[in-house]
Amino acid sequence: MRAAWLSAVVVAACGLPDGEFFGRVPEVTAPRHLRYCNSKEPEALDPAMATTTTALKITHVLFDGLTIYDAHGLPEPSLATRWDVSDDLRTYTFHLRDGARWSNGRPLTAWDVAYQVIRVVHPLTASPNGDNLATLRNARGYLGRRVFVLRRPVAPYPAGELVELAEPGEPREPARIDLRAASRPLALRDLGAAAAAAYAWVPAEREVALVMTTGGRATRPSPDGSPWAYVFDPTGDGVYGWVPAAELDREPHGDDAIAVRRVTADGERPVGAADDARPVVTVHGRDLQVTPDVLGIAVPDAHTIVFENAEPTPSCVGRSNNPALRPTPIEAVSRWPRRWTEPGRIVTSGPMTLTAWRERDAIVVERSPTYWNPGDVRLDRITFFAMDDQAAAVSFYFTGGCDAVAANTIPSTYLPALLGPDGTSRYADFRIEPYLGIYFVYLNTEKLANRHLRRALALAIDRAQIPRFTQGNEIPTAQLTPGTPIAALDAADLAACGVARTTPGVALIMKQGALCYVPPPGLDHDLAAARAELAAARMEMGAAFPAKLTYRYNAGTEVHKQIAEYLQAQWATLGLPVELEAQEWKTFVADTRAGRYELARFGSIGNLPDPETEFLPLFRCGAPDNRSRYCNPAFERLLDQARPVRDRVARNAILQRAEQVMIEDAPVIPLYVYTQKHLQKPYVRDLAINLVDQAPLWRAWLDPAWRSHR
Amino acid sequence: MIRFVAGRLLGGLAVIAAVATACFFLLHAAPGGPFDGEARMAPEIRRNLEDHYHLRDPLWRQYAAYMAGLARGDLGPSIKRPQTVNELIAAHVAVSATIGLCALGIAIGLGLAIGVAAARRHGRWPDRGLMTLALIGISVPSFVLGPMLVAVIAIRLGWLPPVRIDGPSGYVLPAITLGLIYTGAIARLTRAGLLDVLGQDYVRTARAKGLAERAVVWRHALRLGVVPAVSYLGPAAAALISGSIVVEKIFEVPGLGFYFVASIVDRDYPVLTGVFVFYVAIVVALNLVVDLVHGWLDPRLARASSR
Repeated sequence: MRAAWLSAVVVAACGLPDGEFFGRVPEVTAPRHLRYCNSKEPEALDPAMATTTTALKITHVLFDGLTIYDAHGLPEPSLATRWDVSDDLRTYTFHLRDGARWSNGRPLTAWDVAYQVIRVVHPLTASPNGDNLATLRNARGYLGRRVFVLRRPVAPYPAGELVELAEPGEPREPARIDLRAASRPLALRDLGAAAAAAYAWVPAEREVALVMTTGGRATRPSPDGSPWAYVFDPTGDGVYGWVPAAELDREPHGDDAIAVRRVTADGERPVGAADDARPVVTVHGRDLQVTPDVLGIAVPDAHTIVFENAEPTPSCVGRSNNPALRPTPIEAVSRWPRRWTEPGRIVTSGPMTLTAWRERDAIVVERSPTYWNPGDVRLDRITFFAMDDQAAAVSFYFTGGCDAVAANTIPSTYLPALLGPDGTSRYADFRIEPYLGIYFVYLNTEKLANRHLRRALALAIDRAQIPRFTQGNEIPTAQLTPGTPIAALDAADLAACGVARTTPGVALIMKQGALCYVPPPGLDHDLAAARAELAAARMEMGAAFPAKLTYRYNAGTEVHKQIAEYLQAQWATLGLPVELEAQEWKTFVADTRAGRYELARFGSIGNLPDPETEFLPLFRCGAPDNRSRYCNPAFERLLDQARPVRDRVARNAILQRAEQVMIEDAPVIPLYVYTQKHLQKPYVRDLAINLVDQAPLWRAWLDPAWRSHR
Repeated sequence: MIRFVAGRLLGGLAVIAAVATACFFLLHAAPGGPFDGEARMAPEIRRNLEDHYHLRDPLWRQYAAYMAGLARGDLGPSIKRPQTVNELIAAHVAVSATIGLCALGIAIGLGLAIGVAAARRHGRWPDRGLMTLALIGISVPSFVLGPMLVAVIAIRLGWLPPVRIDGPSGYVLPAITLGLIYTGAIARLTRAGLLDVLGQDYVRTARAKGLAERAVVWRHALRLGVVPAVSYLGPAAAALISGSIVVEKIFEVPGLGFYFVASIVDRDYPVLTGVFVFYVAIVVALNLVVDLVHGWLDPRLARASSR
């Protein structure tokens, strides 16, 4: 595109710098100030809303987590000092440290963590991060406003039973039985505060949504003995606040008739099937309580939080550094629900706090005086420049404007200049490392139902040639789960993987030197086998054998086009004509999602090194993002079989078999493991680079005497 | 005069409403929505998000709500960003307008000077040389000129920062890049307009009266000679003030132009419609200004239009 043009011009005009480093290395005048060229303007800093690595890099220095990312990108205890796991792998109890405080001085407790969980899965928050909590008991039912607590006994169910909406046929919109109103104006305030301290007023009879009440399983106890309610007034930008529960004397949907039945043990079975043990009863809206008590979270005391998962969920610890579990400050969120992360309003808990946010320009964070572990913070300030254009970011780095650039902020057209002819880095401050992402081709198994045909397509691709034109040292592979090349592992990791260094392919390190997942090799280039599969496909399909296939890719990125043309040429050697079709991104996403394609490029980026949560679920029967529309009972059975297995090595062995079954069916053709490209000035120290591209940035520092320390 | 202005303003409002309507329906007709992305998203989450922005209401109701907001001057919330569209425009228009006005200054100053110089030496080599230069200025796109300036002035010579606005020096390269493109056009239009006028009787009369050539050109001829350039300046100034997508990208300028593209890619319906409405409002306003300036430059036009 245009960016390619630009970079070509710049490279041509200025020529290549000689010397050891790419561009100017300025003197270090402020060793405790990191100037970081981030990619783009973050979409949000609120952990409930941030989803991209661009935003999360900043979110993670502002908000502490039960665990945080260590230098390897794996969880490291932070707010939680330890955790217990139940024998059935469903219940996880995290014990929080004493002495953690918000930047306004308030102690940070387990209720703050629970508040974030409730917030993320509450329908009114509309958080895109709710998926990360989907394993919690009833999380999806709560998100969909479909699970409630029964307030009075309705035969055969006792009071306190968890019930779900039960409607024959198409489920209609759930009634808004969470709505309340008051006959007198409501003074929204902090929990326990006097009405005079209200920061917002709700006029009498205006409908508000009831979110939670005090004294629940995961909510704070009442400060004065009588229950308080936390409500949301959606008018304007919206506002939350506590009021004495007794003031909510109107229930607009209290008389609605609603059909319900008990939820199943896992709370996730589809509604509709006949089930004698769970008869449908009709109750009134006022018989149902809308409450986060239905969720699988509990706070037994200020320093303990319990997560109850519907299924055995070993990824629960691995996910505990997730933004969905990074507590947010109720006092700020309540006052400005969508705008609380602005400087002056924000309250933070992490190593740094926000001091300036100039949109699409820069975000400045500075050392937080209340962080529980000040000795761990080696920087006083980080400036995140929002660099929308890759070439601009590199020019800025080149002239010494920033100390490091975020991964994937280097235009691909620059790579030939940064790499020598042998593919190694030409400059000491440029590095290429593997990334937890895989580039692949989806095959729509509904349109390409013949397994032999799909296998032929997979076997025909010589992936080793791809990095020659993509030029980013991508790691060619036929394995689905990405990882580090086995040849590059250290001895401890090799032992954990149980493979020899000469084994081809990649392996995923899940715990340094302790736990490793080696994905099955997949269908790598084998032209003879491809021909045999193709002959079998022609025989089986007869006249139904397609005259040509169509390959879709999203327009605008040169590399997708190059790969499409390469694949077309590779399939042509088999005698398979393939047409190429470029689509605008959103159209492409919508079409592939709806199954309107035959072959399409795609990629998947993992948030944590775990094939069970990140890559294999893409191929589960009926999964919303199962673009291949693949469904194999053998694959499902193996994944289900792995679920209760507590020993992670044994568990990985089953997952490996599952991946094997799937990849042999060829619903997907993996091509390469993504790489991340980093530029860091030579004086930058301890700015970790890891597989998930999430590092504790506050542990970095700049070395003014770097020349003598080399 | 007042009737003329009022009529034009009413017409302008109709144009704005038409543009908002077209934008609204065209973008909603495009496949995909704001929440289609690569990441997995549970159906419940998507539904909650769509509910929050009323995207599941019938389209006519969304349209009615949008137009009602527009009538109040409220362009609605952004779907992809925390701010409202009004806030986005307020936050980013200043930097775009600053660069745009600097560029406009360069374009007008340099363009007029070149145009007049060329017209006065009509047909001789300075004319040909200057017009060739102007043609080059028109033809070289900003995405070539910008990176060239970055490469030579910022990276090679180190005189100015390559990207980002961090103090006044940051405005120089973007303003030059943007201004030079319009300089060529203004120079050519001024030359053509002036040549037309220099052959007219009243100019000959002025010369015959013995007026100095400088006074003839600058005081008498140029006033009518710039009319074509002024007509061109209306829409050009609107484009300059509302931000150049390409120049903002090259120089990493946090201006308004960015949203013209980003909002389409994001399917951020209110932002796209909002920035277009804002742009059209500026075009309408500046066209009105151009008409008034025309009337002042050439009173015959004013009489014709108020009749």
